[in-house]
Amino acid sequence: MTQPSGFRASFVRECRFLARSPWDLALLTWIPLLLCGVIAWQLSGGVVRDLPVVLIVQENNAISRDLAIRIEAAPGLRLAGKVSDLATAERLVRSHTAHAALLAPRETAERALRGQAPVILYFNASYPAAAAAIQREAAAVVEAANTRLAIEQIAAVAPQGSVRPAPVRAVTTMAWNAPASQEFQLVSLLHPALLHLVFMLAVVSAFGRELRDGSAGEWAPDLAALAGKAAPYLAGFMGWALLTIFWLAGVRGWHFAGSPAVLLGGYAAMYLAYLGVALLFVGATRTLSQSLSMTGLYAGASFAFAGAIFPLEQASTFAKIWGNLLPYTHFARLLARTWVAQGQGMALAVPLLAILGITLVTIVPGAVLYLRAARDPDSWGRR
Amino acid sequence: MWAAFRALFTAIGADRAAALLLLVSPVIYAGFYPSAYTDEVVTRAPVVVVDLDRTAASRNLIARVDAIQQADIVASLPSDDEAELWMADGLAVAAIIVPAGFGDDIARGEPGTVLLTGHGAYLLRASSALGGIGAALGQTGRDAAREQARAAGPPAPPALSLVTRPLFNTREGYGAAVFPGVAFVIIHQSLLLGLALLAGTARERMGAEVHVTGPQLAGIALAAGVIGMVDIGWFVGMVFWWHDYPRAAAPLLDVAIAAVLFVAATVAAALALASLFRTRERPLQLVLPFSLPLFFLAGLSWPREATPPVLVALARLFPTSPGMELMVGLNQMGGSLTDYWPAVLNLAVLALGFGTVAMRRWVPRGDKIRPD
Repeated sequence: MTQPSGFRASFVRECRFLARSPWDLALLTWIPLLLCGVIAWQLSGGVVRDLPVVLIVQENNAISRDLAIRIEAAPGLRLAGKVSDLATAERLVRSHTAHAALLAPRETAERALRGQAPVILYFNASYPAAAAAIQREAAAVVEAANTRLAIEQIAAVAPQGSVRPAPVRAVTTMAWNAPASQEFQLVSLLHPALLHLVFMLAVVSAFGRELRDGSAGEWAPDLAALAGKAAPYLAGFMGWALLTIFWLAGVRGWHFAGSPAVLLGGYAAMYLAYLGVALLFVGATRTLSQSLSMTGLYAGASFAFAGAIFPLEQASTFAKIWGNLLPYTHFARLLARTWVAQGQGMALAVPLLAILGITLVTIVPGAVLYLRAARDPDSWGRR
Repeated sequence: MWAAFRALFTAIGADRAAALLLLVSPVIYAGFYPSAYTDEVVTRAPVVVVDLDRTAASRNLIARVDAIQQADIVASLPSDDEAELWMADGLAVAAIIVPAGFGDDIARGEPGTVLLTGHGAYLLRASSALGGIGAALGQTGRDAAREQARAAGPPAPPALSLVTRPLFNTREGYGAAVFPGVAFVIIHQSLLLGLALLAGTARERMGAEVHVTGPQLAGIALAAGVIGMVDIGWFVGMVFWWHDYPRAAAPLLDVAIAAVLFVAATVAAALALASLFRTRERPLQLVLPFSLPLFFLAGLSWPREATPPVLVALARLFPTSPGMELMVGLNQMGGSLTDYWPAVLNLAVLALGFGTVAMRRWVPRGDKIRPD
C-alpha cells in the first residue's frame, strides 16, 4: 500500500514520464506547434488574390477588351485566358485552370447603350472560398466598367440629365474585419479547434495509460493527484493558446476589440471541460483505445458543429443539441465577442457559464469513476 | 496471398476497435458530419435596422428587406452605436443604417445612400444576408427611379448588368461544397488508423520484427483496398445521393479508375506508416489531429492560389490532396480523368512510392519471392 501522492508528487511524476517517452512528449510539444504552424502558414495569404478567370469573347469589341483589362487589373483576379465558347471555358474551370468564366454575349455592345446588357459570371460553386471572392471582385469590375461606359458612351446619346448614378447606393463594410479577411476568421477558430483536440488526446492518454499499464497501483491517486497529473498539460496548452494569440494578434496584427483576459479565461475553462470529458470517458470505459476513439468523435469534428461558419440554427435538431454539448461551440461564440468584437455582460457570461456547466457535469462523475477504476486492479490492462 | 487477404478480415473481426474504425466509422460519419449543414444555404440571418430617416422611402426599403429570405429583421434600433452593440453581443450578423435625408435625396434626384455593415467574424452569414439585402435595394432603387423620373426624366439604366451562375453546385449549398471533400479525408484516416492499429497491435504482441512475405503483403493490401473501394462506393454511390449533393454525370470508368488510384495511394501510405507503430494505441493519439490540416491543405476550403508554394508542394505528399481534387472534380464537377491528369499522376507516384516503402519495411530482404 503506497502513500497517496499529492498534487506536487503527481506533477513531478508526470513530467518525469514525459521526459522518458518521446511520443507522449510530442503530443504536448512539437505536434501542436506543427499543426498550428501549418494552418497559420497556409492562411497567411490573408485575402485571396490572383484567382484565375477566363474571359469568353464571342465578339472582339471595346467592351470585351475593357473587361479583359479590368480583370487583369483587379487585385483579387488574374486573366487566365480568352476563349471563344462556354464549353471550352467549362473545361478550363473543371481542370482548375480557372475558377470562373466571364461572358459578355455577342449582343452586349449594342444592348449596352440601351442599358442592362447582361454579363454572365460562371463560377465554380464547388469551391466556396474562391467563389465568394470572385463574385465580389467581378461585381466591382462590372461596376467600374459601367461608370466608364456611362461617362463615355451613354452620356453622348442619352437625353440630357438622364445619366446619373443609381438612385439607391449601398456602402458595404465588414465591421471589425474590414478586408473581410478569411485568415482572421479561420485562424482564430482553427487554432483552438486543433489545440483542444490534441489536449484531450494527451490527457486521455495520460489517464488511460495508468489503467492500461496497471501503474495506477503504484501511483495510487487521490483528487489532488489527479489535478497534479493534469497540470503539465493544462499549463502546456495554455502556453500554446498564448502563442497562437500572440501570432495572430501581435504578429499578424489582428488586434483584440475586447478583452484578451476573458478569452484566456475561456480557454482555461474549455480545457477544464475537455479534461472533465476525458476523465468521464476513461473512467467509464477503462479502456484507452476506446476512450481515444470516442475522443476522435467528440473533439474531432468540433469545427463543423460549432456554428462558427455555417449557423447552427440551420442545422438538424441533432446537430443543434450535439453542438451545444461541445465546449468548443461556446468558446467560438466567446471568441467572436472578445477578440473580433467587444461584447458585454451576458453575451460574455453565457458562453463561459455554459463551458463551466459542461465542466461540472463531467469532471465530478469523471473523477469519481476514474478514482474507482484506479482502485480496481481487475479492470486494468484492457486493450 | 489469399490466406493473408482472408487473415486481414479475420483480424478485423477479432478486434473490436479495428472493426469500429474500418467498418463502422464511415457509416457513422456519413450521417453525423452532414447533420451540421442540413439547411445548406444561409437563410433568415438576424439583421438589425437603424432608420434615421423615417420617410416613406426608408420605410419602403425596410419593408422590402423584411420580405427577403436571406435576412430576418430582429430589431429596429435608434442608433448605429446600439446596432454595433447588438452585433458585438452576437445578436445580429448585419446591420442596415438608413441615414437621415435618404428620402429627400431621392426626391431631389440624387442618390440615396444606405450603409450596410456585416459582422467580420461571420463572413459567410453576413455576405449571404448582405447579398439578399442588395437585391432588395435594387428593387427599392427601381421604385425610387420612378419617383425621380417624375422630377428629372427617366434615368439611363447602367450599361452592364452582372448575372452570376453557379457551376456544379447549382444551389450553392455549403455542406454540398464541403462534405464531398471531407468524405475522402474520412476514408483516408479510417484506413490509416485501422491498419496502423492492427499493425501496432501485431508488433506489440509478436515483437517489433514482424515480417511478411511479398505475396502476403499484397494480400493484406488487396484486402484493405477492397475495404477502401467499398467505402468509396458507400460515399459516392449512396451517401451523396442521400444528401442530394451535386452529382455530375462523369464517365463511370473514370470514376472507377480514380477510386482505384486514390485507394491504392491511401493503402500504400497507410501500410508504410503503419510499419512505424509499435503500440496499439499510438496511431489513435498521433493520427487524429492531422485530419483538419489534411483537409485544408487539399485546397478545397482554401484555394491553392492563396497557399504558399512550398506548402502546395508538400501537400502533394498526402493522398488526400490529389485525391480530393480528383474525386470532387469527377463526382461533383463532372470532369474526366484527362482534366485532372496532374492529380492522377500524383496519386500513381504516391502509390508506387509508399508501396515501395511499405515493401522495404514489411518484407525482409532476400525474402520477396517465396512460395506460399
